[in-house]
Amino acid sequence: MLEHFREYFDYKAFLICVALVGLGLLSVYSATFDVGAASAFEKQVVWAGIGLLGMLVAAFFPIRALHRIAFPVYFATLAVLLIVLIVGKTISGSRSWFAVGGIGGQPSEFAKLAAIIALASFLARTTTSLSSVKHLLIAISIVVAPMILILAQPDLGTTVVFFAMLLPVLYWAGASNFVLAAIIAPILAAAGALFGTLTFLVTLLVSGALLYITRQNRFAAAVAFALTLAIGLSVQAVYERLPGYQQKRISTFLNPELDPKGAGYNVVQSKVAIGSGGFLGKGYLQGTQTQLNFIPEQWTDFIFCVPGEEFGFLGASIVLTLFIALLLHSIKVASLSKNKFASAAAIGITGIFTIHVLINVGMSMGLLPVIGIPLPFLSYGGSALIANMVMVGLLMNFYANRKEH
Amino acid sequence: MIYDEQFGSPQRRKALTAIVLVIFGVLLLRLYQLQLLYHGELDKKSEENSVRALIKEPIRGYMFDRNGKLIVDVGPSYSITLVPFEFDKANQALLSSILKLDLQTLEERIARARTYSPFLPSRIKRDIDLRTLASIEETLPVLRGISYEIESKRVYPTAAHASHLFGYRREISDAQLAQVSDFYRQGDLVGIAGLEARYEPVLRGEKGYEFVSVNAKGQIIGSFEDGKRDITAREGFDLLLSIDVGLQAFAESLMTLNNYTGAIVAIDPTNGGILAQVSKPDFDPSILSGVTPAELWLQLQSDPAKPLFNRATLTRYPPGSTFKMVLAAAALQEGIIDENYRIRCTGGFRFGDRVFKDLHVHGSVNIVEAIQRSCNVFFYQLILRVGFDKWTEYGRRFGFGQMTGTDTGEETAGLLPSAAYYDSRYGKGKWTQGFLISLAIGQGEVGVSPLQMARYAAALANGGTLLQPHAVQSIRNKQTNKVEEVPHDTGSVGLSPDIMALIREGLQRVVQAPGGTGGLARIPGIISGGKTGTAENPHGEDHAWYVGFAPFDNPKIAVAVMLENSGFGGAKAAPLAGLVVERYIYGELRRNLPKPAPTPVKRDTVRVITHNVR
Repeated sequence: MLEHFREYFDYKAFLICVALVGLGLLSVYSATFDVGAASAFEKQVVWAGIGLLGMLVAAFFPIRALHRIAFPVYFATLAVLLIVLIVGKTISGSRSWFAVGGIGGQPSEFAKLAAIIALASFLARTTTSLSSVKHLLIAISIVVAPMILILAQPDLGTTVVFFAMLLPVLYWAGASNFVLAAIIAPILAAAGALFGTLTFLVTLLVSGALLYITRQNRFAAAVAFALTLAIGLSVQAVYERLPGYQQKRISTFLNPELDPKGAGYNVVQSKVAIGSGGFLGKGYLQGTQTQLNFIPEQWTDFIFCVPGEEFGFLGASIVLTLFIALLLHSIKVASLSKNKFASAAAIGITGIFTIHVLINVGMSMGLLPVIGIPLPFLSYGGSALIANMVMVGLLMNFYANRKEH
Repeated sequence: MIYDEQFGSPQRRKALTAIVLVIFGVLLLRLYQLQLLYHGELDKKSEENSVRALIKEPIRGYMFDRNGKLIVDVGPSYSITLVPFEFDKANQALLSSILKLDLQTLEERIARARTYSPFLPSRIKRDIDLRTLASIEETLPVLRGISYEIESKRVYPTAAHASHLFGYRREISDAQLAQVSDFYRQGDLVGIAGLEARYEPVLRGEKGYEFVSVNAKGQIIGSFEDGKRDITAREGFDLLLSIDVGLQAFAESLMTLNNYTGAIVAIDPTNGGILAQVSKPDFDPSILSGVTPAELWLQLQSDPAKPLFNRATLTRYPPGSTFKMVLAAAALQEGIIDENYRIRCTGGFRFGDRVFKDLHVHGSVNIVEAIQRSCNVFFYQLILRVGFDKWTEYGRRFGFGQMTGTDTGEETAGLLPSAAYYDSRYGKGKWTQGFLISLAIGQGEVGVSPLQMARYAAALANGGTLLQPHAVQSIRNKQTNKVEEVPHDTGSVGLSPDIMALIREGLQRVVQAPGGTGGLARIPGIISGGKTGTAENPHGEDHAWYVGFAPFDNPKIAVAVMLENSGFGGAKAAPLAGLVVERYIYGELRRNLPKPAPTPVKRDTVRVITHNVR
């Protein structure tokens, strides 16, 4: 009986998810309880409840049906993103908050999910040819279309997340190194363009080298390099048009220590918060950095400071270990799954979680630029929490049905 | 060759696993570096970095009288604050001896402060004297987590008490705090009576915050972010009152001199501005100016003389004969009688099995003479012709049985009986017309406050405009430095001018003509009008009433005087009213203060003697 249960119920993914959500609720409570945002905790509890429901629905949703609705859902999501762009409510300079009947929601969180399912569905089709350039471009477009709509909002963080999903899925599907290099090269050049001409030239050089090493034919490599150059140059132009707060975030990333009271302030304070936690932390609700509200909007993007400061190295590494366990588990699910669609989707989900944790925790510890993306399961925010829990539900689903084609 | 590997090959699984492990390896290494290697440095930074928000209490708004004189001021008050997280328990004994607080109380207060916030300062002793402040300042380096802040307390620079009018503040209760935690914190003073309560949101201003960096010892090492995040406190707005503080003090002294219990309310009959509002016994408001010790509060509350009770707005006594003008107005305006209507007063009136008496035999009197001499028999008969409903209607027109809308304190609506009221109180058909006869002369269940009576007097003075009495005429906005008028309601009692003139004629005769009951209200050189009244009190001496106004042709002041258990209105209340009016119109007294408690003169009403046949 128990074995049967283990066979079909992915208790591992379930328990890890519940543990992370629990730690998240503790952290949100600590970060908000005396800044007059106490209702944030209660809301998060409600969202976690909805998320749990969504997770269970996703866990028992027939995979075949999922496969079938993948594209209708995907196009509906694109339509919603378009509507948001036109009429969406502006929250902190970004039109991503979709208000329906008084309930706010960020469709970009669900767009990630829709894009994974659509991409996996496309790659799993028997009609999809592995050698067709056209089909490769379609696969890339499936991800890039919502990404562009989100970039136009503009939401830099979520855009990065889309690439982090596309690359592993193509890699998993067996894409050649050149294809991957041709996707990475423009991103690299675009990132380099943000840090001035010298870095731009260096990244161009690296991109060129990557393309040269992985090249399969010269023409394709030349086209890819030309594309890289064009994208790098246009990013420079777009950067000028970015809203000030994002420009500032990017530029002060280079050396936040020099300007601890400006936009780099968050990073310095969050490093201090985490560092001062020490091995065992200052104790729950006892973190001076957290409780004195040194870190603005700590309950969203800087939530990692709370376990860092109040539970110390022990608590913070438990959080990271839970993530490692979840990610290794989802890679395992992907390779166990005999269904291509499920397998590709599991890798997409792995990619999304990995990039979120990497960027969020990395920026909290001053390793990466402050681009606002939440820490899965821990950050305050309903759409992300629900979308993430649904993704875990899908993993549970893929695990249960791993033996079916 | 777009794809050169199998879908989901084991090799790529290994590569992806490796990438995840490398990413998390880097994150864990960084975590290790920050939390274990750099811990000492960052922990120190976190302590150094501690920012404390010092609350900058706003200066409460001032109050000025009608002549621009500052009458409610603010002065400094020092409070000791404690940050529980930083405070060392070993210092409790020292702190307790400096603050002269017993250890148990101190521990309780620290525990309360901790529940508010372990990291923010809470006040543990308020309004300390300067010597305590000096010793605290000396020991500050030892007492980590202790600091002090300056708050404001009220200072009253004039001789007037006006304790019920100004009102006072007390420490906010936990229940109130739960409702309005956005502005107040534990220990904040909040207005709970009088103008301080009514205008609390106007007077209090907005708190400011100064962010300072403090070091590990809790000492301030400088401003945080060069004060960029500081929020300056916004001063409370000033109240510009209609009160004449000289008159207020004078009226209070009249009450004190005679040791009266009661109230005097004077109103500007042109706009409803309250000139003076006295309730005795009162208290020196400066004893409640800062933090009130619990013992003092208990003492004030349990004092049998009820000094906290605002008699000007909250008492509800029968008005006696001062209420006769209501009936006169109803009878004349409704056309039931005219000025030529006469009644023969034989000194009593038999109704059913009861005899209602009058003290004098007034002979044949018309309405003007009936007011002048306060003939009861005239009004006994009149109310039977006017009827209950009309009487109630006109009482309501003059503002009785309803709140006045004053801003000077809690008030009572009083009680204006109606047929419906008696039906519900005694049952339909269980009460008789006999009840009406008492009401005709303002006795029985009718209950009014001195403030309502002053408004009534003002309406009689200004020819029938019912005003909303108020002390605050305008508010000085400290941000825009503009003076904003406070709007007030006005209504009309709806009497035609000739009828009003007739009633006023009677009121003038009360004071000015021989045989009037209010001769003691007479003022040298000023013609005034008024009406005396004596409210029967089954529990003791009667309450004396007087309502009046002056100058007769262009009234500038309307006044109501109510003296509890003091006797006849004409004897006790009328002279006080006369002095108040004289002081206001001349700005000084032109005659010597009369000796307290002169011998009784004419009595204006008599006890309603009820012969119950049963």
